[in-house]
Amino acid sequence: MKFTLNGNGVEYTGALNARLLDVLRDEYRLTGVKCACKEGECGACSVIMDGRLINSCMVAMGRAAGSDIVTIEGYSKTDRFAVLDNAYASVSAVQCGYCIPGMILASECILAKNPHPTEDEIREGISGNLCRCTGYNAIVHAIQIASKEGSGLW
Amino acid sequence: MLKVRKYLISVDRFCLYMNRFGMGYYMEKICDSVIKLDHLPKTSGSAVYVADFPTEGMLFGKLLHSKKPHARIIDVKIPPLPDGYLIVDKNDVPGVNRVHIVEDDTPVFAEETVEYIGDPILMAVGPDEKEVLRIINAIDVVYEDLPAIISLRDADTVFFNYEINKGDIEKAFAEADKVFEEQFETGLQEHCYLETQGVIAEAHDGRMTVHGSMQCPYYINRAVAKVLGCGPSDVQIIQDETGGAFGGKEDYPSIVACQAAVAARKAGKPVRLIFDRREDMEFTSKRHPSLCTYRAAVKDGRITAMDIDVIYDAGAYTTLTPVVLQRGIICADGVYSIANLHVRGRAVKTNTVPNGAFRGFGGPQTFFAIEMMMDHIANNLGEDSLEFKEKHLAQQGDATSTSGEYHFPVPIPAMIEEVDNACGFRRKRAEYAKPQTGRYRRGIGMSLFFHGAGFTGSGERDFIKAVAKLHKRSDGIVEILAASTDMGQGLKTTLTKIVANELRLPLDRVVFDNADTDRMPDSGPTVASRSVMIVGELLRRAAASLREQWKDGEDLTITENYRSPDYIIPFDIATFRGDAYPTYSWAVNAIEVEVDTLTGLTSILGSYGSFDVGTPIDINIITGQMEGGVLQGIGYASMEQIAADAKGRIRNNNFSDYIIPTAMDAPNIKTMIHVEKYPDGPYGAKGAGELPIVGIPASYTEAMEMALGTRINHIPFTAEDTMKALQEVTAK
Amino acid sequence: MVKSYIPSSLGEALAIRAQESVIPYGGGTDLMIEAPDDASYLFVGKIPDIRKIAEEGEIIRIGAACTFTEITESSLAPDLLKEAVSRIGGPAIRNLGTVGGNIGNGSPKADSALIFFVTDSSLRLISNQGERILPVRDFYLGRKQTALRSDELIAEVLMPRTGLENYYYKKIGARNAQAISRVSFAALMNMSGGRIENCAAAFGAVSDVVIRRNDIDAMLTGKTIAEARALKASYLEQYDRAIVPITGRISAEYRKAVCMNLLRDFLESNGI
Repeated sequence: MKFTLNGNGVEYTGALNARLLDVLRDEYRLTGVKCACKEGECGACSVIMDGRLINSCMVAMGRAAGSDIVTIEGYSKTDRFAVLDNAYASVSAVQCGYCIPGMILASECILAKNPHPTEDEIREGISGNLCRCTGYNAIVHAIQIASKEGSGLW
Repeated sequence: MLKVRKYLISVDRFCLYMNRFGMGYYMEKICDSVIKLDHLPKTSGSAVYVADFPTEGMLFGKLLHSKKPHARIIDVKIPPLPDGYLIVDKNDVPGVNRVHIVEDDTPVFAEETVEYIGDPILMAVGPDEKEVLRIINAIDVVYEDLPAIISLRDADTVFFNYEINKGDIEKAFAEADKVFEEQFETGLQEHCYLETQGVIAEAHDGRMTVHGSMQCPYYINRAVAKVLGCGPSDVQIIQDETGGAFGGKEDYPSIVACQAAVAARKAGKPVRLIFDRREDMEFTSKRHPSLCTYRAAVKDGRITAMDIDVIYDAGAYTTLTPVVLQRGIICADGVYSIANLHVRGRAVKTNTVPNGAFRGFGGPQTFFAIEMMMDHIANNLGEDSLEFKEKHLAQQGDATSTSGEYHFPVPIPAMIEEVDNACGFRRKRAEYAKPQTGRYRRGIGMSLFFHGAGFTGSGERDFIKAVAKLHKRSDGIVEILAASTDMGQGLKTTLTKIVANELRLPLDRVVFDNADTDRMPDSGPTVASRSVMIVGELLRRAAASLREQWKDGEDLTITENYRSPDYIIPFDIATFRGDAYPTYSWAVNAIEVEVDTLTGLTSILGSYGSFDVGTPIDINIITGQMEGGVLQGIGYASMEQIAADAKGRIRNNNFSDYIIPTAMDAPNIKTMIHVEKYPDGPYGAKGAGELPIVGIPASYTEAMEMALGTRINHIPFTAEDTMKALQEVTAK
Repeated sequence: MVKSYIPSSLGEALAIRAQESVIPYGGGTDLMIEAPDDASYLFVGKIPDIRKIAEEGEIIRIGAACTFTEITESSLAPDLLKEAVSRIGGPAIRNLGTVGGNIGNGSPKADSALIFFVTDSSLRLISNQGERILPVRDFYLGRKQTALRSDELIAEVLMPRTGLENYYYKKIGARNAQAISRVSFAALMNMSGGRIENCAAAFGAVSDVVIRRNDIDAMLTGKTIAEARALKASYLEQYDRAIVPITGRISAEYRKAVCMNLLRDFLESNGI
C-alpha cells in the first residue's frame, strides 16, 4: 500500500498487520520514534498521522494506507520545531530524552489546534505522554513559551 | 555550537529565598542556566539509545524467566533449534556464574533452583527476534515446587542485620511518662524509566565490549570480567544515551551485561538483549518494601528515646540490599536529635524480585515512618504536629543518629518559613483542623527531611577511591575523563560547566563524552547523589591545577584523586558510629489535598517544597530534578501500587495497571531553592538528585489524615484506602 | 503471510467479512495491544459511510468508525457522549479509537457503551444479507461476548436526539488521564409537566456487562419530585441489591460504595 512519510510518498509491501512503530523504526530506520510500552499507554512512540497525534504502536500498517505520517525526523526540519526546540532548551525541559520526541509532536498538535492554549489545555494535550523525569512543569512551561514566541507560526 | 541563551525564569516555577541571615542570596554566575549539552540530539530524535543501533549482523537474545517463585529445576526441554539459533545457560559461563554486585550470590543463569518468578534460567539467541521468542515459549521447564515465601512477614532468612546504638534507651524508657508504639508499612515502587533495560555485547580481538543503558560502567566492567574469567582490562563498557534510571540501572545492567557477554562469546556474534516493558516491570529490581516498628519514650512533652525496628524485603538475592538497609536505618530518626536511640535493621529474603536502588535508596521508607510517628505522637499529646517536630529538630553541632555530627548549618527552620509563606501552611492547617462535613474535605501536611549526600560511611574513601582527569589537547580543547553517566539528570552539562567555569573557558571548549572504561578512569558509580559533589569537585580542582599550568599548544593531563575532608569523623561500619555522610541536603515540603468523599479520589491542590542542595550548578537543571522527584514521591504515596500476589506473581506489569502520574495529576508543584553552601563541594554544591523524593509521602499522608480525620500508617494510600477510612470514620 | 484487507467501500468490506475470517479493525487501540502475528484484519476505519455523524428526525446517527476526537468536535453529538469519550485514554488514543471498536470488544469498561446503555440507544448491524437494529442492551451477552454475527459489522449507533440534556456523568479512574474506568456512572433525568418523564441510570466497569435496570428506574416514571423523594429509599435499596461488583484488582466494596454514592448524589442533584 502507499502512504506519505515525512513528506515523501512511499510504497509499503510488508505485512498489513505489522505495527507502524516497528516498520518506522526497523524498515525506515526512523529511530527517533521510541518504543517504551507497546500498548498505547505512554506516548513515546507518538507520530502525527493525518494531522492528529497518534501512538504508532497502536496502528497496524493497513490502517495507515493513504495516510500522511510525520515523525520527529521530519518535524525537526520545520520552523515550528525550531521555536519549540528553543523553548524546551530555555527551560531545560529535556532530561533523559526518551519521552521527548513524542512530547514535541504532542506540543505541535496542541498549538496547531489552539495557538494560545491555557495551562489546562496544555496539560490535557500532553496527558497521554508519560514522563518520569521532569514532573512535567518544564515541558508545560516550554509549550507556553513556544506559544508566545511562535506567534504567526501556528 | 548552540548559543547560550538566558531566559527569564518565571517566578512561579521557582523563587529564591533569603538565607538564614535574612540576606538576599547571591547566586553564583555558574548557576545561570545554559542550553543542556545533550538537548538537541534528544529533541531532534537523533540521540542513539541502545535499541536504536542498527541490528544487521546482530543476534537477538531473549531470556527464559522462571515461572515459579521457588522451585528446583528438574529438566529443561529445549525443542529442536533452527540453524543459527542457540541456547545459552549456566554451562556456557567461562568464569564464575555469579554477578558481582556487593556480594556474589546472584546467578548469571539459574543453577539447581529458581528463587523468584523472573529468575533467568537461560537465553535463546538467534537472527530473528520473533523466532527467538517462539523458541522461548516452546521451551518446557520441569519444576519441582519448593515452599515459597512471598510476604516479608513470613520471611525466615535474614540476609543482613545491623544495629545502631546511642545513649541509654532502657533508662529513658524506664523514666518515661508515656510510651508510644506504632507500625508503618511501605510498598514496592517500580522505576518506570521510559527506556527499558538493554545492552549489546560484542566480542572482538579477544576482548568483550558491552554497551547499553546504565549508570555504573565500572560496576559492569568488574562483573563481566569475573563472569568471563578474564581481567577487567579485557572488558570495555560503554554507556549509551540512557533513557532514565533512578537507581534501577545501578545493579540490574550488570546482570544483563553478564548474560549478553556470555552469549556473545558463545555465539561469536554481537548479542542484543533488550527487555520489553512487561518483562522489565515484572522482573527487574524495585524499591524495597518496608515494615518499621517505632517505640518512643516521652517525658515532659519531649521524646527522650526511640527504639526502632526496621525490616526491608530484599527479595530473592542480596544485590544492593546491605547498603540500602544501612541508609534506611541511619535515616530512621529523621531530622531530629534523639539522645537515646536504638535502631535494629534487618533485610529478609522473600521469593520475589531482588530489590535494589531507587532514588532515596532506603531513606524514603524510614522517613515516611519517622515523620508519621512524630505526627501521631503530637496528635496523641494534643500538640500541633509542626510545633512538636520543631522542638526536636537537630541543629548544627548536634550528634547524628550514628553519633557523628551535623557539621554544617541545619536550615530547616528558615525553610519551614519559606514553605509557610508560599502556601499559608499554618493558616490552612488551623482551618482544616476544624470539623469538615461537606462532600469535599481538605488537608495539608508537611514533612521535614534530608538526604545524606554521597556514599554511606567510608565507602568513598575506602572502596570507590574516585579518580577524575582532565586532558588538555594541544588545540586547547579540554576533555573531561570521568566514567560518570548522564541519565537525564544533566551531569554532562553540570560537570562541563564546572570545568569551563574554573578554566574561564566557553562551554564549547570543554568536551565530555559518554563513559567508556577504555578511556575514562573510575570516578565511581553515578549513584548516591555524589557526582556533582564529589566528581564535580575533583574536576574543579583538576581544572584549577590546569589553569595554573596552562601552556598554549601543550598536551597535558591532570589527575585528581579523592581526598576525604578533614572534618569527617570516620565511620565504623561494624558499630555504625561516626559520620555516615560528609554532609546533608535538606528539605521541607508541604502538600495540600482535597478529597471527594463520594468517590475516594484525591486532588492534589499543591505541593510546595524548599530544597537545600547547596549551590545549584544550573538552576533549571536543579529545579527539574526537584520537580521530577516530588512527582515520583507523590506517585509512591498515592497511586503506585504493585505487589506480588499470593503465588509470587506481579500481575500489574504494564503502564495501564501500574499507575504513574500524568501531566494532569499534580499540576501545582512549586519548588524553592534554598542555598547553604557546602565548602567541600564545587562552588558550594552538594548532593541533589535523590533529596526531592525522600519526604514527599509523609507530607501527602499527613494531609490525607487531616482531610479524612483518620490515622494513616501505610503507603501507597489509595482511593480504596480513602473510601475505607471514610466509611470507618462515618461508622464511628 | 496472513492476509489483511483494506476495503475501499462498505460493500467490499461486507463481502470480505462474509467470506473470510477477519477481525474488523476500526482504530486499533484495543486490538493492537495483543496484535498476534496471524491476525487477519479488515480495516474499516476509513470507510466514509460509517464515519459520519448525522441527525435524522429524532435520532442521531453516529458512525461506528467515528473516532472519539471526532465525536468531541461534532456539533451534533450529545454532550453526555462527548463528556464520556473525552475522558478515554489520552489525546492520541482518542484520535484513533472508534465507537464501534469500543462497543465491539464487549467490555463493561467501555466508556461510550455506558452512554449508549443509559440512553437506551440501538445499534445498526449490517451484513451483505441486510441489516438489523438491536438495542444496545441486547448486544451484550456476557463478559466480552456480543451478539455480533461473523458476517456482520457495526455500522452505526442510533441515539435519541432529545432528552439527554439533564445528565450526570462520572468516571472514576486511577488518575486524571490515561485511566481505565474503575467505576463509571451515567444518569439522565427528564421532567415534563412537573413529573419525571424518564429517569435512567447505568453503571459501568463494575460487572461483566453494564448494569442498566430499566425496571428499577421505572419506579420513578410519572412521579413528581416530592413523590420520588418518598420512593428514594426503596429505589436505592433496589439498586443496592442489583449492583454486585466483581472483584478484580480493585475491591468490590470500593466499587459498590462509589456506585451508591454517585447514585444518591444524582438523585439529590435533582432535588430528590
